[in-house]
Amino acid sequence: MSPGTLARLAMAGNRTDAARVTLTALSAALATLAGLAALTVLAIEKPPGDAWQHSEQYVNGLLREPGLRGGTAFALVLLTIPVLALAGQSARLGAPARDRRLAALRLAGATPGQVTRIAMLETGLASLAGALTGLAAYLVGRNLLHRPDANGQLALPTDVLPWMPAMAAVVLGLPLVAAVATSVMLRRVTTTPLGVFRRAGRTGSPRPWPGLLIGLGVLAAAMVEPIQWALKGARVDWLGIVILIGIFAAVMGVILGTGWISYLAGRVLHRHAPSPAALLAARRLTDDPWASSRTFAALLAAVIIGAGATAFRASFLLMAQIEREESRAAGYGDDAGPLNSFYLTTMDLVDLAVAVALTIAAAGLLVTLVEGIVSRRRGYAVLVANGVPRATIGASILWQVLAPVVPAVLVALGVGYTIGRLFSGGTGRDGRTPGVPVEQLALLGAGAVVAVLITVGLGVLFLRGNTAVEELRAT
Amino acid sequence: MTKLEARGLVKSYGPTPALRDVTLDIDEGEIVAVTGPSGCGKSTLLHCLAGILRPDAGEVSWRGHRIDTWSEAARSRLRRTEFGVLFQFGQLVAELTAAENVALPLLLAGTGRRAARAAACDWLERLGVAEYADVRPGEMSGGQQQRCATARALVTEPRVLFADEPTGALDTVTGEQVLTQLVRLARQQRTAVVLITHEPRIAAYADREIVLRDGAIDHTGLGLDAPLSGGAR
Repeated sequence: MSPGTLARLAMAGNRTDAARVTLTALSAALATLAGLAALTVLAIEKPPGDAWQHSEQYVNGLLREPGLRGGTAFALVLLTIPVLALAGQSARLGAPARDRRLAALRLAGATPGQVTRIAMLETGLASLAGALTGLAAYLVGRNLLHRPDANGQLALPTDVLPWMPAMAAVVLGLPLVAAVATSVMLRRVTTTPLGVFRRAGRTGSPRPWPGLLIGLGVLAAAMVEPIQWALKGARVDWLGIVILIGIFAAVMGVILGTGWISYLAGRVLHRHAPSPAALLAARRLTDDPWASSRTFAALLAAVIIGAGATAFRASFLLMAQIEREESRAAGYGDDAGPLNSFYLTTMDLVDLAVAVALTIAAAGLLVTLVEGIVSRRRGYAVLVANGVPRATIGASILWQVLAPVVPAVLVALGVGYTIGRLFSGGTGRDGRTPGVPVEQLALLGAGAVVAVLITVGLGVLFLRGNTAVEELRAT
Repeated sequence: MTKLEARGLVKSYGPTPALRDVTLDIDEGEIVAVTGPSGCGKSTLLHCLAGILRPDAGEVSWRGHRIDTWSEAARSRLRRTEFGVLFQFGQLVAELTAAENVALPLLLAGTGRRAARAAACDWLERLGVAEYADVRPGEMSGGQQQRCATARALVTEPRVLFADEPTGALDTVTGEQVLTQLVRLARQQRTAVVLITHEPRIAAYADREIVLRDGAIDHTGLGLDAPLSGGAR
């Protein structure tokens, strides 16, 4: 098959396919922007002098201080997680129609390899278009935002350009990774002329073993201080490695543990289901508990980071308070010191990043919800024809989402806060410990659940169209 | 006694007319087959009679009350309590067991779970699939699934059952078995049946046959030819 034919077949499809391609491209564009932004931060040259020498051309301390730039770049790379999760969820959009199209290609004589290449090319081309759009937005934005203020300082590092091969690696690597990921996802899929068959994935009831991963994360956080003292002056940054392993283990533990929470919630709901809607939701939860893990992964990761940030903020606030008290006692007034106000401003940026991550995660959830409704539309239409109120179906979707997400968010808040508290040291200079920021944690948890509720509300709007009588005629 | 009446039904999909001035009555316990070539408006007529679709013109009345003017919620309630609807396939909720699927209309009507399950199991037994009560639709054959769907349509003991090509996805023998049971049970509880089909053999189960052509009634007649298996009447 010629590359032209391959590309033509890869870009064929209906409106849902177009929506999937658009969302994939959009995700790729956002991920490219985040990647290029991280590279730009890393490209800022350290000014000559000692380690404390700042890059005075920038307004923001995160860019000015060489020691903080690595963390800023890391945070930008972390932002790509919900974006890539959105891309993964978008890949499921219109899957039944795509399956039929691929089966039709097999019926017309395409080999299994050719069908896989078509699917890979679809994702790869969409991602390439998105990555190039992201690159264009980066270059245009760089020029538009290069406006030094009255002091000649810049808000963003628009005066530096990353190393070209690194930029090329981001722009070209992303579509390549997306295409390879598609191929990996198709490993369990067999496309035959009669249809697409998926080999069973994980079967059996989930077990609470992800709790061990959470325990590992907490243990790593608890080890930070001893390691810091024991390995002072070591050539390898063991502390950084332990912190990374700890965060990764805790996040994966909560995400995978959501499968178990989901299964448990389904069983409890089934036993005490107060309504048909709850019964429907309970069966779906026990049938595919891992769906919740996949769906809420980005949301839960954002909640963990956000909860950890509240622990750091509480610690900084306590330090600021102690400094103020010491300042007052020494007769210098109420000055909390520039260091803490800088850290608190940094925490505001972290909160902003968490809010952005929650929004992107909610967008991914919306895609999954709509896809779930679309793929079940015939069954839903039959239920409505039989007199089942649409409100019952909507309520079943709400139960299905809320039953696992509420306990999972609570676990994420607890884990994130515990780890943040351990990482931040936990005690002030005079032995005082910061209080648990219940209000902020509640706000974060409520924010996540409200984002989910809004998403469900938007998703349920699609119910009416997808339970129309026309669906009864579709075969 | 006339139960379900349609007067001058007209329905179009954009510029394409689907029903043109259709008038008919269906009596209590009567089994009516609506036949005709593909695209003649059979399913549209069923959807209008069952209150799933509103006609563009004309009236649909149930026990003397016009239902085509009712709100969607009221028509849904009617379908849940007095009507039953049976389709060709894809009717059962994949995640629920057969018993839960059959119990669903009762649960929606407020029946307790235990009582709903007992009634569901009873209906599954009447249809000869009691051993599949705790099995999901995906693990059942097409015929077994259709029996479950029939049980679900009849579990509320509806006064009218609307069946749109109920055996269309089944082989001849299984289709006849399902239809024989459906007709027997409908007659036992004096449920009227509106049976959409394009097969004369299936139409022969009915008391009366209405033949549609191009959205209008071409002619009506008696379901004269007894089915091969016979035992439905």
